Order: sequence, then structure tokens, then C-alpha cells
Amino acid sequence: MGQGIAQMLAAQGLEVVLVERSQEKIDQALKQIEMSLDKQLEKWAITAVEKKLILGRIQCSRELQPLVDCQMVIESVSEDVDIKKQLFRELDAVCPKPIILASNTSTLSLTEIAAETGCPERVIGLHFIYPVSKIDLVEIIRGLRTSEQTFAETKRFVENTIQKRGIQVYESPGFVTTRLICTLINEALHVLSEGVATAEDIDAAMRIGYDFHYGPLEMADRFGLDSVLAAMERMFREFGDLKYRPAVRLKQMVRAGHLGTKTGQGFFRYDEDGDRL
Amino acid sequence: MNVLVINAGSSSLKFQLYNMEDESVLAKGRVERIGMESAIITYEPGDRPEVREVEEVLEHTTAVRKVLELLVHRTHGVLSSIQEIDAVGHRVVHGGETFSSSVIVDEEVKREIKRLFDLAPLHNPAAMLGLNAVEANLPDIPQALVFDTSFHQSMPPVSYLYPIPMVLYKKHKVRRYGFHGTSHAYVSERAAAYLGRPLEELKLVTCHIGNGASCAAILEGKSVDTSMGMTPLEGLMMGTRSGDIDPAIVPFTMGKEELTLNEVSSMLNKHSGLMAISGLGSDMREVTQAMEAGDRNAKLAFDMYEYRLRKYIGSYAAAMNGLDAIVFTAGVGENSAVLRAAVCRNLTYFGVDLDEEANARREPGDREITKPGSRVRVLIIPTNEELVIARDTHRLILEQNRVK
Repeated sequence: MGQGIAQMLAAQGLEVVLVERSQEKIDQALKQIEMSLDKQLEKWAITAVEKKLILGRIQCSRELQPLVDCQMVIESVSEDVDIKKQLFRELDAVCPKPIILASNTSTLSLTEIAAETGCPERVIGLHFIYPVSKIDLVEIIRGLRTSEQTFAETKRFVENTIQKRGIQVYESPGFVTTRLICTLINEALHVLSEGVATAEDIDAAMRIGYDFHYGPLEMADRFGLDSVLAAMERMFREFGDLKYRPAVRLKQMVRAGHLGTKTGQGFFRYDEDGDRL
Repeated sequence: MNVLVINAGSSSLKFQLYNMEDESVLAKGRVERIGMESAIITYEPGDRPEVREVEEVLEHTTAVRKVLELLVHRTHGVLSSIQEIDAVGHRVVHGGETFSSSVIVDEEVKREIKRLFDLAPLHNPAAMLGLNAVEANLPDIPQALVFDTSFHQSMPPVSYLYPIPMVLYKKHKVRRYGFHGTSHAYVSERAAAYLGRPLEELKLVTCHIGNGASCAAILEGKSVDTSMGMTPLEGLMMGTRSGDIDPAIVPFTMGKEELTLNEVSSMLNKHSGLMAISGLGSDMREVTQAMEAGDRNAKLAFDMYEYRLRKYIGSYAAAMNGLDAIVFTAGVGENSAVLRAAVCRNLTYFGVDLDEEANARREPGDREITKPGSRVRVLIIPTNEELVIARDTHRLILEQNRVK
């Protein structure tokens, strides 16, 4: 998701430093950004000149050092608390105090991550929703010690600078978006495995009946079934409530490697561009 | 009296300094890439060599400060002190229904400009940035605003209303406003002077054909219709804008191609017009060259462009029940002999008798391209929107001083 965020920021006219662990990852990220811009170009959303300008605003690095010139750092490494903790320790050492450190986490404890730093007041959560350039909503997560100033500045950044709607959420597993949507997906899986309706019909019911852009099963395919499973397991563990227990069918599909759009096979089948076959 | 004219965009700012005694340009230039570490400042002091600087300009207040510094610079300056600037005039794209003429800036005017952000979300906020930037640097100097829309406020409801539910007009001011007003007003006055007849007796069609393009029907000196509407997308086919299309194409395309509102709007504004049909680009020169080299898409693009322009001219002759002269202005209108010739050759029925030689001649200044005795005369009149802004500002300041 890091490259999606970088692309969205650059498209808003901001100068962006994109840090990846290896040159290989950098190349891959740039390739994906370019592909995504080409797709927008095909849909007439941007012009060739705008594409060039957007790419020109993204500077890549393998080191954290260039971040000292930024006003805000948005972390978007894998959703693993130990990896995030390690990174925040490093960021805290590199970045001077006024820089806000934001984590793009969907389910982890921000307070726990912030506690790794010498200044938890400047740590905040920014949960973007995939695809970042299209979805104009961000959850702004306050950790236990996030300062009022950090929150106010972040809110201004979200609403004025990148022009998305920011909702304030307090720390809780899954916040609002992940908690509600993953629970819905999980329930759809129960409906499917109980044989109540076919995958196609379940999705049609929600898409047409309640004006969802994608039905819950296609949504799961697009998130990645492994991510949905990880989110459900974390919520199940944290809340201890049975309603969060991952559906057996979800686990089976993940074990079978049917992860959704990224493998081409989930509840439905997809081509390389992620379009339904 | 010296008047500084400012045309502020979201990331650029163009300026011209006029001496209103003789309407001469003392200096002009622009600041581009505002908001970047490497903004570009270009400055041309009269007939002295151009100055170009690249430095950090993060917002409009700094941009205006840089401009003022250059104007009084030891070597490049044209003024000995900032006090020699007597007034500042700004170009504002949208004046809504509130401003039917240029105005002096006061608090109420500023509030109204903000209220109009809704109608021109891309342009008016930029003008506001320019206004505030000048105020921060020159707090005691009067400022005036000149609107692209105000000349067309004389349109009657018959031409400014859309045949859609009236509630949309009442609630959201959905109506036709028209743009390029300063240009249409300027060239129509010049045309009357050239023809040696009072403007109040003339029926004119003025064609402002640049990257954006619009026609206006000017009856007795007043705009009674113009091709751009609520936004500058309506009307003629342009460089990258579609102009008139069946509005049902919008929802149809959104459904078929799964486009969002932003995408379809970007398609019509940035990916249509000459660019879409020629497949080459949005520049008329480029399209004409390719057409002459035998490119079929370029020819189609040119033909559509010309056909749609000619139809508008014809419809305005019908709107005014007559036509005395057609005026071409702005980049393409002033320079594309091929386009003018194509339009005029197909208007012989109206009584346009093109002088092919005069049309092909490249010379500066106001001139005629029809033969003596042509029933409808065709003129080329170079536009000068900055001068209109300077004149309006000058006039308003003189009037204000008189009242005081």
C-alpha cells in the first residue's frame, strides 16, 4: 500500500520520499506506480504531462536519512507488530521532534507502537483504504498518548492537503472500517458455506440491494483473503468474542493459496490486471 | 498613474506594469511553479534584456514580493520605489451574477468572491490568493477586480437559461455565464473603431479562438449570447475540451467504461477536442501541419473544429437577425490563416467575400481580410486582456478619487 500512498500524495502535488528496503523493492514500487498511472491515463483521469509531473515528485531511497527533510512520515510496512516497532525505534532516532510519525495500520495497537519511541505524543495512526487514490476516507487513530497538536495537524493534513474525509477513531482492534467490513465478509462466508446462496448471488444481493460497489466476497478477493484472515484472527484474539471467529472456509481457501486478485483465484477468477474474468 | 495587472493561477502568477499616461508596458513577466523549491521567475523590463531566476517560492505572497523587488531592483528595476504603483488590477474568472462590471476591492467584494468558489473551484481561489498576496505586500494600495464573465451579464434570460428544472437555477445558480468577456468587449470596441461606425449600430460575432475558444453575439455593443456556458466546457470544440456534446454521453460512458465523475470530467476537459480526434496534440499549428502533410485524423480534427465554429457564427447571425462583421482574435484566431479561410469560404451565402491574399499576409495590428464591398466584413483584431484590466482599474480609481 506504500506505493499507493506515495502516488496519491504526489498526485496532490506534494514532494514525496519513498523508502523501500532494497533496490529491487524500489524498482517494483516504481513499476507499480507507473502501471497504476497508465491505467488512470487510459481512463482519461490524468494526462501524459500530469503523469510525468507525478512521477517527478517521487524520490526513492533505501535509507531513512532523507526523511529528516519531511514534515510527516507515513509508515506502511507489513502488518506485523514487531516489524513496526523496530521501524519506529529507527524513525524516532533519525527524525527530529517536529516530524509527525504516522502508522498506516488497520488493526494493531498504536499505543504499543508509540511506546517504542521517545516521544509518543507525535505518533498517530493514518489508516488509508485501498485503492488509496480513489477512496477519500482516512481513519485518524489516536493512541493513548497522541498529543492534541499532532492530531490537529494530521487532521488538517488529511482534510486540506490531501482532501480526504478524516474520521477520528480511538484505539480499538480494527477501528471502524476493518471491524465492520471484515465481520460482514466473515458472515458472508458463513452464508456461503451453509449453502444458503451462491457466491455470485450473495454479492449481487449486497451490491444491488444495498448499493455496495463490490459484494463482500469480491471485496475479500480484492483485499486478499490472507489479510482478511489475519484481521479476523487479531480481532478474535483481542475481543475474545465468538462473532469474530474466522470462518472455516476462509482458512481453507488461504491454505489452498486462493488469495483473491493477487493469485488470480479467490471466490471469483481474475486476470493479471485484477479484472473479473 | 502606474497600474500593476495580476493574473494569478493556482501555481502561477503573471504580471504587467502599465504607465496609464500613454498605456505603455513598463515591465511584464511571470512566476511559475509556485509552491516548489525551484520556482521560475521571468521578468522583462521594457526593452531591456529578460531576467530569469530559479528559486524557492512557496506561496503567492512571496511571489508578489519577488515581483515587487524586481520592479524596484537597482539594475533591472523600472520604478524607483514601490510607492510609484498607484493601483493593482486582478483578473478573476468568475463573477457570477453579482459582478456585471469591474469593482474596487473591499471586504464585501472579498466575501462575495469566496461565495463564488463553488462555481469556479479551479480559478477563483487562485485569484483570491493573488488578491491577498498583494494586500500583504501593498496594504494601502487600491485593488480592482476584472471578471471574465461580467461582459456577458447583459445576456437576456432567453440565452442564459438552460431548459432544465428552474429550481437548479434558483438554488445553485445553474445558468450560462460565458467567459473571455474582457477579450470580447475589447475586440468589439476596436472593430467598431476600425469600421468607423458606432458600436451601438453594429451586429458582430467575435471569435476568441485560443487554447480555450468562445464566440459571442454582440448586438449594439452588448453581449446577447456566447458559446461558453456555466463552465468553459460548453460551446466550440477546443484544444483539449469537447465543447457541445449530448449530455447523455456522460452517464452512458460512466456506465460502459466504469468511470468516476472526476474521470469523465477530466476526459471532457483534458482529453477531448483537437487532441482526441487528431491523436496528435491540442495545438492548432501542429494539427494544421499534419493535415497539410496528409494525415487523415488531423484533417478530420481540423474539419470538425472549423465546422463547429462556422455553425456558431451562423447561429449568431440568426440570433441577431443579421451580421455586419466577424472578428477573429486570440492565438489561433490571430494566427491561423488556414482556419479563417476555411470558415470564410463557407460563409459566402452570408455575403462574406474573403480576400485570400489579405488573409494569408502575416502582419501585426487590426486588419481586414475581406474584399472591399463584402456585405459581411471579417477582421483580425489582436486581443489585449491585460490592457482592459489596466484601463478598468485606472478608470475605477479615478472615479473613486473624484467621489472623495
